[in-house]
Amino acid sequence: MVGPTASLSILQRADGSATYKCPATGYTILSAVNGPVELPGRRDALKPEDATVEVFVKPGTTTGGVGERAIETTLKSVLGDIVLGREKGFPRRGVVLTLNIVGGENVERGDSYLTLLPALLHAGLLAMISASIPLSMTLSAVLLGVTDSGEIVQNPSPAAAKSAVSLHVLAISSKDHLLLNQSRGRFDFDTWELIRARALSICQGAANDGDVAMGEGTNTASVNGFIRETAEDQIYSAYAHKLDSI
Amino acid sequence: MSKEAQLSVAERDFILEALRQDVRLDGRKPDEYRPLDISFGEEYGHVNLQLGKTHVIVRISAEVTKPRDDRPFDGLFNINMELTNMGSPAWESGRSNDLEAAVTHTLDRVIRHSNALDTESLCILKGVSCWSIRADVHVLDYDGNLTDAACIATMAGLQHFRRPDAVVRNGQVIVYGVEQRVPVALNITHKPLSVTFHTYNDSKHIILDATLKEEQAAEGDLVIGINNAGDLCYVSKIQGAPVDAMAIVTKTSVAWEKVKTLNATMDKVLQADLAKRAKVGMADESRATNDREVQPE
Repeated sequence: MVGPTASLSILQRADGSATYKCPATGYTILSAVNGPVELPGRRDALKPEDATVEVFVKPGTTTGGVGERAIETTLKSVLGDIVLGREKGFPRRGVVLTLNIVGGENVERGDSYLTLLPALLHAGLLAMISASIPLSMTLSAVLLGVTDSGEIVQNPSPAAAKSAVSLHVLAISSKDHLLLNQSRGRFDFDTWELIRARALSICQGAANDGDVAMGEGTNTASVNGFIRETAEDQIYSAYAHKLDSI
Repeated sequence: MSKEAQLSVAERDFILEALRQDVRLDGRKPDEYRPLDISFGEEYGHVNLQLGKTHVIVRISAEVTKPRDDRPFDGLFNINMELTNMGSPAWESGRSNDLEAAVTHTLDRVIRHSNALDTESLCILKGVSCWSIRADVHVLDYDGNLTDAACIATMAGLQHFRRPDAVVRNGQVIVYGVEQRVPVALNITHKPLSVTFHTYNDSKHIILDATLKEEQAAEGDLVIGINNAGDLCYVSKIQGAPVDAMAIVTKTSVAWEKVKTLNATMDKVLQADLAKRAKVGMADESRATNDREVQPE
């Protein structure tokens, strides 16, 4: 299977940006982060000691609606939790993330954004890395579908996702925490356990039994390894001038 | 939200003094566009356009809907542009600003109201169903002259787009998938483009395709919408210092020349892309072999 592709810092004006392309589902997401930026006083009343993370999802060929607002809330809570908003220069400031869906099929009005969620999370995270926003950890997410026969499919295509009995999105941090669990459809606890174990092995590249023995090694087969590698490439090119002088 | 960073007095004076000596910051001539790069995405009507550092993506989409009651023979065509924080940190996502209103208005006037897209050809069944064509302009990077960039990209998108074929049989509308029937190109009646000028030093210096800094230093602007045949479809002098009438006449002929060149460039890219697509499509259908890894050496 062809893995996802991503490139960092492609835009000129935004502080950080990334494109993320998932060939299995066909979506291309372009993301941009600006931060820390001044926010008008009305918004930071809730947590004055913390940075405010704002997320805006812009669909490719429609105007944003309820579906976009709903997914923005989810993204905001997941990504907002890993941003170190109390670092110097961040309190009372905003980190504004814009996610633009520039390729792939449209999500039908009123339909859920579950199939897009992993791509959006990855694109948002990579843009934050590109903008050097302080993060407590990275994350990786995966979309899993359960077919009629009880088989678990990784990254089902839009057609396969439509016919799946249940769909699950799990986001797992680089420290093996379960950060997000969203599901749709009918399933039982046993299925969910299988899903969780599978998601852990896909994200962290561990054995199938869920027993994680990840060291500092870079397992490129895992989603986490992919995020790491992309960030590594970015750092390598950013510090190329230093490497030459060594 | 924060404003676009203001130009310093020194920078402004530098730009104005340079123009007095007929020099622009990036060494262009007064009537010269920045390098233009147009490319197309995988799907029809997906245009990626870069004009200098200004970067826009336009996506065209089609949908079957009911026509408006007062225009039962007409299809629908809309151009949407929403400025987000991506294009410039000064823009607030989800809130419109003056620039957005101005550019949307110009696009509407130049492309939609000049009937560049023949909306009557979008009708499928009178008063029952028609195509609704939608152009979405995404601004990724903003460095001045958004109007022209968006206008060129939208026109390129409309010419590149193919809608699914639809027929009426026994009063039933049947829409064929892209695999079933060759999709149809839109009916473009003419190819108008906007050309934006900015004026300086009591409109003694008028330059084309200003960058963001040049835009900020300008005292007024002039937008001319014109097509290949030289039909003027839009002239706007909304704000800023007055411009001499003769200047408008001379700049209109400059705009005409520019539109001809731009349309020629656009045609070339379009033809190249369509030829590439035709080749891939034919080759895919006619070959019987499996993919084979080509060994180096």
